[in-house]
Amino acid sequence: MDYLHLAWKNLWRNRRRTIITLTAIAFSIMLVQALHNLSAGVYAGMVDSGVRAGSGHIAIYQQHYLESRDEALYFKGHNLVTEIETIDGVKQVLPRLYIPALAQSSRESRGVVLIGVDPQRERQINPFLKTLSEESMIRSADSRDAVIGSRLLDELQIKQGQKFVITAQYHDGTLHSELLYVRGVVSSGMKNIDGSLIMVGHERAALLIGSSGSVHELAVMLSDPGREESIHRRITTLLGTHPDIEAVSWERAMPNLANAIKLDYASQKFIFLIILLIVTIGVINTLLMSVMERMREFGVILALGSKPMTLRGMIMLEALTLGLLAATVGSLLGSLATWYLVSVGIDLAALVPETLEFGGVVFDPVMRASWNPGWMLQIALYVVGLTLLAALYPAIKAGRITPVEGMRHH
Amino acid sequence: MSLIKLKNVSKIYRLGSQKIPALTDLSLVFDVGEFVVLAGPSGSGKTTALNLIGCLDRPTAGQVIIGDLDLQSASSRQLADFRLQHIGFIFQSYNLIPVLTAAENAEFTLMLQKVPKQIRRQRVSKLFAELGIDGLEGRRPADLSGGQQQRVAIARAMAAEPHVILADEPTANLDSHTAEELLELMRRLNREKGTTFIFSSHDDRVISQARRVIRLEDGHLAADITITA
Repeated sequence: MDYLHLAWKNLWRNRRRTIITLTAIAFSIMLVQALHNLSAGVYAGMVDSGVRAGSGHIAIYQQHYLESRDEALYFKGHNLVTEIETIDGVKQVLPRLYIPALAQSSRESRGVVLIGVDPQRERQINPFLKTLSEESMIRSADSRDAVIGSRLLDELQIKQGQKFVITAQYHDGTLHSELLYVRGVVSSGMKNIDGSLIMVGHERAALLIGSSGSVHELAVMLSDPGREESIHRRITTLLGTHPDIEAVSWERAMPNLANAIKLDYASQKFIFLIILLIVTIGVINTLLMSVMERMREFGVILALGSKPMTLRGMIMLEALTLGLLAATVGSLLGSLATWYLVSVGIDLAALVPETLEFGGVVFDPVMRASWNPGWMLQIALYVVGLTLLAALYPAIKAGRITPVEGMRHH
Repeated sequence: MSLIKLKNVSKIYRLGSQKIPALTDLSLVFDVGEFVVLAGPSGSGKTTALNLIGCLDRPTAGQVIIGDLDLQSASSRQLADFRLQHIGFIFQSYNLIPVLTAAENAEFTLMLQKVPKQIRRQRVSKLFAELGIDGLEGRRPADLSGGQQQRVAIARAMAAEPHVILADEPTANLDSHTAEELLELMRRLNREKGTTFIFSSHDDRVISQARRVIRLEDGHLAADITITA
């Protein structure tokens, strides 16, 4: 027999109570781990959708463009595209032009932001273009093909294949118009996208402002988002010769999405905290009951020559055993739940028929978790720590009694 | 050779504002190898005296000296250490730890003393044989009779080879036959190992077995009789 053996035996002294406490702790660990992994998976999905349709994992702009969105702040970016693509871990670089313009049909006109893209590159990444058939895609960078939002199409009262005119301010301040044909229609389900999106080849867009080869944004897609920081540093080094151009993270380029995720994560953490707090109170109650029931026995143990500190250590060891056991069971259950949420997920389509939008990004109605073993371990250890913390008061209380006081208990 | 000295010891318990004297001006000396009974009716101060001798409590006045340890000046830690190394306890209601087996209970003080597992096993096994409870090592206290439990308690008290064993009404919960057997066993241990035994009891059967009877009445020493064979 040793102290661990004694702790184990004491733990099962009241089998039912221990099982209930163990289940409560393990269940809370499972809940927090699975919920966290689900949130992480959903956030990763959102970020992925966001960066594909938006700024990329890293975005490159002319200085001050991000704050002002001044269409005059463009730069010659096409050489940079090939340079950046040589960096290990960069999957794709998407050049884009954003031009405030007026779209006019023979019947209606609407203010829009025209997006000039590299059709071939963009189609591999952009979720709005990915769903389009080959016949609906912009054929080349300088073609007159346009992909247009379904709602804008209705508002302009035109149909697929029909023409419309786009007018924007030329670089010298005069107005310049281009005739475009509706090649494809995007129906994302998001009002602002379907009501304002017009995409054309970047060379056709550049004609509107009279600056061929210019871009407002280079959206850098990474093959492994986990390497964002190191690749960001390499791009910044590469841009050293272009002091007027800056590379920013997606969080800075898309603050709405970043803040929405931060806010949601903060509220999740608060819920986790409440769950863990409730469990801690339960553990304190169990351990305190277990200690109060054994006051006489503790008196005997002290009489036999145990120091109060040794007695406290015995109680803490019991709590540690309980915590470790619960952490193991909880993590197994958490892994099982995560496995289900990763492979099957939760389909919200039946519950929420309309398009799900969060932070300005459409996300998949099937919520899927992602594996975060480091975080799962952290939560498990955190709960073990909380169990030890919960045992502190009962242990101190037990260590304070004298042998005679203890042995008077019945 | 004197082992334990009580000099003008008084112990007063407080119950709210009320002071209850449990021992008054008690002076006693116990020698090595004695087999002593503290006798007297309930409330006479037997348990209080045993608690003081066992370093479980401190006197309100007077001096308790055990070996070279003065109770008044010793810290709680020193007292715990002293109990662990030098004193064995046998309680009226056995007070075995219910989740442990008989052998594990007997080993308990040795575990506190950090004695290696193998030595503990050997020592307990030998004691169980001497006490006639070999074969019961794996049983839990709930599966043992009162007499068997008290033998395990004696094994626990003896395992650490203390100088003194204090027994508070050790036969009170036992039938007369078992009580006789246990008393004979303790006398044998006292004879063979030279361990000092101090009992508290108001049972005449126990008192008749003692070589020295200290009678307490209302916390005072009423008589201190040494019986010569």
